[in-house]
Amino acid sequence: MTSAPRPGPLSVRPISTPEHLDFVRSRPSVSFLQTPAWAQVKNEWRGESIGWFDGGTLVGAALVLYRQLPKVKRYLAYLPEGPDIDWTDPDLGRWLTPLANHLKQQRAFGIRMGPPVVTRRWHAATIKQAIADPVLTTLSDVPADVRDDEALTVATRLTSLGWKEIPTENGFSAGQPKFNFQLPLADRSEDDVLAGMNQQWRRNIKKAAKAGVEVVRGDRADLAEFHTVYAETAERDHFTPRPLSYFERMWDAMTAEEADRLVLYLARHEGDLVAATTMVRVGEHAWYSYGASTTSKRDVRGSNAIQWQMMRDAMAAGATAYDMRGITETLDPDDSHVGLIQFKVGTGGEAVEYLGEWDLPLNRALHLGFTQYMKRR
Amino acid sequence: MTFELDIDAERWRRGLRAVVESTPGIVPVIKGNGYGLGRDLLASEAKDLGLDVVAVGTYAEVPGALAAFGGDVMVLTPWRPFFTDVLHDERIIHTVGRVEDIAALAAGPDPTARVLIEGETSMARHGLDRHELAAAVAALGDLRVEGFAIHLPMAGGNLREAENWAAALETSQVETTTFYASHLTAAELTILRERRPQLDIRPRIGTALWLGDLGALAVRATVLDTHLVARGERVGYRQRPMPRDGSLLVISGGTSNGIGLEAPKASAGVVQRGKSLAKGGLEAAGFSLSPFTIDGKQRWFAEPPHMQASMVFLPASAQAPQVGDRVDVAVRFTTATFDAINLA
Repeated sequence: MTSAPRPGPLSVRPISTPEHLDFVRSRPSVSFLQTPAWAQVKNEWRGESIGWFDGGTLVGAALVLYRQLPKVKRYLAYLPEGPDIDWTDPDLGRWLTPLANHLKQQRAFGIRMGPPVVTRRWHAATIKQAIADPVLTTLSDVPADVRDDEALTVATRLTSLGWKEIPTENGFSAGQPKFNFQLPLADRSEDDVLAGMNQQWRRNIKKAAKAGVEVVRGDRADLAEFHTVYAETAERDHFTPRPLSYFERMWDAMTAEEADRLVLYLARHEGDLVAATTMVRVGEHAWYSYGASTTSKRDVRGSNAIQWQMMRDAMAAGATAYDMRGITETLDPDDSHVGLIQFKVGTGGEAVEYLGEWDLPLNRALHLGFTQYMKRR
Repeated sequence: MTFELDIDAERWRRGLRAVVESTPGIVPVIKGNGYGLGRDLLASEAKDLGLDVVAVGTYAEVPGALAAFGGDVMVLTPWRPFFTDVLHDERIIHTVGRVEDIAALAAGPDPTARVLIEGETSMARHGLDRHELAAAVAALGDLRVEGFAIHLPMAGGNLREAENWAAALETSQVETTTFYASHLTAAELTILRERRPQLDIRPRIGTALWLGDLGALAVRATVLDTHLVARGERVGYRQRPMPRDGSLLVISGGTSNGIGLEAPKASAGVVQRGKSLAKGGLEAAGFSLSPFTIDGKQRWFAEPPHMQASMVFLPASAQAPQVGDRVDVAVRFTTATFDAINLA
């Protein structure tokens, strides 16, 4: 916590896309869901960049996505994995009250946000041991290896300001996941990272290399090929695939912002595409965002090869964290979701718990209606 | 010296040995008033039983335990920086339950002290949250971890919570395989041992050990005086009218012996209270049931107990004892103080 003299009151007002982008670039990292480009990706929402000003100085920023209620000209204001403000400030009201006032003027009936605040971390070895233990069925049951008490006080501050945490089921809510899996990269060499992986990961990476799997970067034209494999994956894993146009829009918006904001990876074996992924990077944080693999030729381990290439590229670009995104809280070996954790745990990274998503109703009746509607969905 | 505890020594010690033999790793708890039997007596019994460690409640109880018992002495109350009676001795095992306390103890005059790390159970009394364990380990410095401890509620069905803590211990950064637990039944301990073979499970037991065979213990008070009283006659400090004709007995044993001292009832539900009202009689009239049994029944106090004697009303229909006779008393041992303890 800073002991600098208490600055004056803050004001919130819209900022231009270049202003917002400059602020993002000045920060070590913010979530890619808080970049101006993301507003273009989520074109079913209306996006607005806003800034917090201390006098004339921009001290915080957010991307607000507005979604209209059916039939009424009122909006849910959503700040996914944001806003990017000083969460260590004991007086959070200084930041959040002008935010609420601004959003009220924009006819928001409620605000939803996901403070990018990490509360606890669990190392891979701990999780591995916990999965093997039948008594420990959720991450919360497992002693965290790192716990940030200051971050935990943010929850108390939010509650006292009238915000409510959105309950999650298994750490999964309708919004962004509360539990994520990250591979720390700061001050680690490629050898360190490899040595931290479990034997199976190392073996699979080696196996892919030996089998001659080649990982290359693709460009916009290759998205179609990516999408074919992605659709195959969706069918196999029973999820609804997004259309190719979504990925093209993402490509256009994000690469326009930074040339390597979004990178497409293609893993080929003897000319056949066996896996394809996208990686997003903002400053020091890299995310594995979408992944797909073919059902045939699984034994050449294209997925491991492509992950390893993304990790190395993230490292080369100066990233301190390689983010494999959401995991469920479950550690129950009988739960189908546990395989996903096991795959991620094999990288030797850590599970990271965020503060979760929080709501502030601005119009109680509309907000209640909206909450009920979301529950029924 | 007429409010006494008679112990059938042979039977009592047979009970102690049975508990010790059937409870591997037992740590006898010797605290407070020594469950009515006195801490010194219990410490010397623990020594005779050949046990290696005893648990005391507070630091004030440590010197006595060190003197009367040859082995290690663990303190159940977690160490606090403001305690002024903390002793430092190689035989003392401290309990720690707050990260800041661990750091303070490690920075104190005994940086290599032996400690137990306590987890906060559903008791919600002392101990660390499981997510604080890593920070606790980081704060240890040169302190030596002797084990991990949990204190469970007495409500029963503790196995699940105990096993959850055992699992938490095994996945935590705390490097110990010794697991101290209170309030697990023998069956629960057996199951826990089977499921957690890597752990050395050590139950901490007080009541079930020392008061495990109540038949070996008899509490007796002496009748000091008897007076015939008529219905409506006023007696005692408070000059209350007697409800019927009968005898007024003056019996040794008052508040200084723990008579009339009551902890809030563990299970005084609405039904229970309704029942006593429905029964009517003396309780409804404001009289309380005394712990003295005379002529086969527990009798009513004629007025609240005095410091060292009690006045008890006995109806004319009952057989009145003579001055000098001894009567049975049902006491709460954890609040009882006897004039004499007779081991025979």
